[in-house]
Amino acid sequence: MGTMKKRDRLEVIFDILRTVREHHNSIKPTPLLRHSNLSSSSFAEYYAELTAKGLVKEIVDKDSRKYVTLTDKGFKFLEKYQLIRGLIEEFEL
Amino acid sequence: MPAPMFDPWIFGSELVFTVVAVAFCAAIYFRTRESYSLTKHEGIGYFRDAFLFFGLAYLMRFLLSVVFLSGMAFETPSGRDLLMPLFILPLGYFSTVAIFYLVFSTVWHHFDNRKMLVFGHTVAILLSLASFFARSPELLTYLQLALLAVALVSVFLIRKEEKRMTQTKLLYTLVFGLWLLNLWVTGRHHPFPEPVETLFLIVSLLVFVIIYFRVSKWAR
Repeated sequence: MGTMKKRDRLEVIFDILRTVREHHNSIKPTPLLRHSNLSSSSFAEYYAELTAKGLVKEIVDKDSRKYVTLTDKGFKFLEKYQLIRGLIEEFEL
Repeated sequence: MPAPMFDPWIFGSELVFTVVAVAFCAAIYFRTRESYSLTKHEGIGYFRDAFLFFGLAYLMRFLLSVVFLSGMAFETPSGRDLLMPLFILPLGYFSTVAIFYLVFSTVWHHFDNRKMLVFGHTVAILLSLASFFARSPELLTYLQLALLAVALVSVFLIRKEEKRMTQTKLLYTLVFGLWLLNLWVTGRHHPFPEPVETLFLIVSLLVFVIIYFRVSKWAR
């Protein structure tokens, strides 16, 4: 049986942001939770962190439905992720 | 013993070395700004702050060297009493924090970061006060050597599954070792002749340049 490596914090953030981008930068919080493979409490924690860091923001449409979208900083994070990962591995951070 | 004369060659080489070393430390700090701002990754944070503090430490070391080189430390009581402690206090603090932060950057996952920071800054203050009251860069060198030995043994025990000596570990060891040598030769009681002192400065610069280019590869 294959074992799955536990994702680190940065990888989880990358996966959440990538999911938002893959849904045309607009996804409701509940499907995002499902795609994230996290428990509700963990997801809530990550979601609060992503909002606080300005990587995602919530928008509300005219029918009062909530959507999650990436900010410019969120797009930048996705663009730079592999380089940042390289920096962390190169210097054993 | 007669007071040492001001030597423009040593002053010039110290000045050039300090300007270039501080510039590369600052470059490493600013190069990693975006990576840190996007992720707030603790390891990146400690890493970049370590080089910021190393830059400040090398700057203070230069000012201390100027005090020694100019002969003020030996000829006039005011020079010894006022200028040297003035520089040795921040020198002790910045350099000890720099050493701690570079160690923290590799072990931060294993500790409570708040406690780790309080510990690091407390030890840095104690070491800088000890060297301040002793008015001795040599004492600071010995204390930092002991601290580094404890820190490296701890890192080895924490990361014992990673036995391989990587290029990064080698670079970190050189950063620490060369800092201690450069600090040691600032004082009067060391066995190294001038060409060896200059060699330490050149190798230190090479290490900073290598680290900068390795950072630049990933922080574009």
